[in-house]
Amino acid sequence: MFVEALLTGITLGGMYALVAMGLTLQYGVARIMNLSYGEILVAAAFAVFWLFTVAGFNPLIGMAMVAPAALVINWVIYRILLLPLVRRAKTRDALEVDSILATFGLLFVVQGVMLVLFGGAYYSYSFLAIPVDVFGVTIAANRLLALAFAAVIGLALYIGLTRTRAGTALRAVAVDPVSAQLVAIDVRAAAAIAFALGGGLVAAGGVLVSMFLTFNANIGVVFTMKALIVVIMGGVGNMLGALVAGLILGLTETFVATWIDPGLTLAATYSIFLIILLVRPQGLFGRGGR
Amino acid sequence: MLEIADLSVSYGKHRAVDNVALTVAQSEIVVILGANGSGKTSLLKAIGGIQPAASGARIMLAGADLSRLRAHAIVEAGLALVPEGRGIFGELTVRENLMLGAYAKRARAGEAENLDRVLTLFPRLGERLAQAARTMSGGEQQMVAIGRALMSAPDILLLDEPSLGLSPLMCGELFGALTRIRQAGIGVLLVEQNAKRSLAIADRGYLLENGRIVGQGAAASLQKDPAVQRAYLGVAQSAV
Repeated sequence: MFVEALLTGITLGGMYALVAMGLTLQYGVARIMNLSYGEILVAAAFAVFWLFTVAGFNPLIGMAMVAPAALVINWVIYRILLLPLVRRAKTRDALEVDSILATFGLLFVVQGVMLVLFGGAYYSYSFLAIPVDVFGVTIAANRLLALAFAAVIGLALYIGLTRTRAGTALRAVAVDPVSAQLVAIDVRAAAAIAFALGGGLVAAGGVLVSMFLTFNANIGVVFTMKALIVVIMGGVGNMLGALVAGLILGLTETFVATWIDPGLTLAATYSIFLIILLVRPQGLFGRGGR
Repeated sequence: MLEIADLSVSYGKHRAVDNVALTVAQSEIVVILGANGSGKTSLLKAIGGIQPAASGARIMLAGADLSRLRAHAIVEAGLALVPEGRGIFGELTVRENLMLGAYAKRARAGEAENLDRVLTLFPRLGERLAQAARTMSGGEQQMVAIGRALMSAPDILLLDEPSLGLSPLMCGELFGALTRIRQAGIGVLLVEQNAKRSLAIADRGYLLENGRIVGQGAAASLQKDPAVQRAYLGVAQSAV
């Protein structure tokens, strides 16, 4: 039972970590607190559902179509909806407030469209629902596949951000947007790219989640909240922090649901969140004052 | 050659920089002397595009107009600013800071060569490449800041009070480095409170008071100017 809960928790935590990495990019680099973030996840889940059940595309092929599309769409959202806010914001803090309001509106637009298209019912599809034996425990192959993909995507992102010049430039904007201009980085362009990358990541997360969880048009906000918690727990802009905090959250939820009561998972999530906020307000890996 | 004319900066009704004109040629160190609040920092920020200048300003670098460009494009045009407080990326390593210095397209081709040059200029940085910049001493951080600016292969380097908070020994090292930067053909525009040391290495100087240029001349003659000595060099008035 322990190993089973551990595997389930790591899978769930891996999803949280992947999704949070995207949010921490959007918030850390572009300073957009994106409340419609989870809606992109749900929209990607529906898109891949449609591609699989109607058009007959394997969800992995679906992901190869949906994630790049989400990247482009998010870039367009940034250029059209958010760039005017960036232009008129006098400070980064003002931008944060404006972006919360704008993306709060966007949340309902996207959610409304999905409700019209799919209604409020729960959806799921059966892809690779084959039991696999791992350390004497059976787990569905789709979960393992989702975990493996989350790990590969997360690792690729981490390497891209830390080992390439373009990635280092994105981190530089997160650390100090004023100084970033002094090394010829176009901060607005970097912010648009970070926002788009975040959108692509959450869409990939949505596809992976849809392989083994049921979803409906209303659950986006749950993922936004959890991603937000993971980002704050890990330290804003910190990829490793997002990974560790995501795993902590996934494991805690699974352990509480397995041994205490499934109804207490959210309570456990928020308790950990509150404890970390009290003890380390800058997050597990965050630096003070930022 | 950097040529500036009619440059003004206002904060609301307060005019911090008032119709400033100045030039900096290649292979030349020009110092701007001025007390706190004289507008030195605003002037440099406006040239670097970090602070908007009033319209009508002319900022020309090698014949190209920089006055309408955003800050990142100004670096691309060949002007690098080391701001007050250094502005390095403290969370990133020294190597990453220097690598980002060469982010400008103009700097890519000569990157390895420039890195060699920076590490020859500041050998200490070579020993600390993997260290997070914020964990270094003030003087070393200033070296990172200047090194990062040099990595962008600038024609003109602007420095805002680089000696602030440094030990006399470190100051000497820093000003020595500036003369070697000049030898490399780069024009240096230096804003300083340390008038004695900066006039000693400079070719020319400007005096800035309440946002206006109130005097200028060769560094050697400014050093001998009684008014400059009183105001900036702390020479006793009547030593009879």
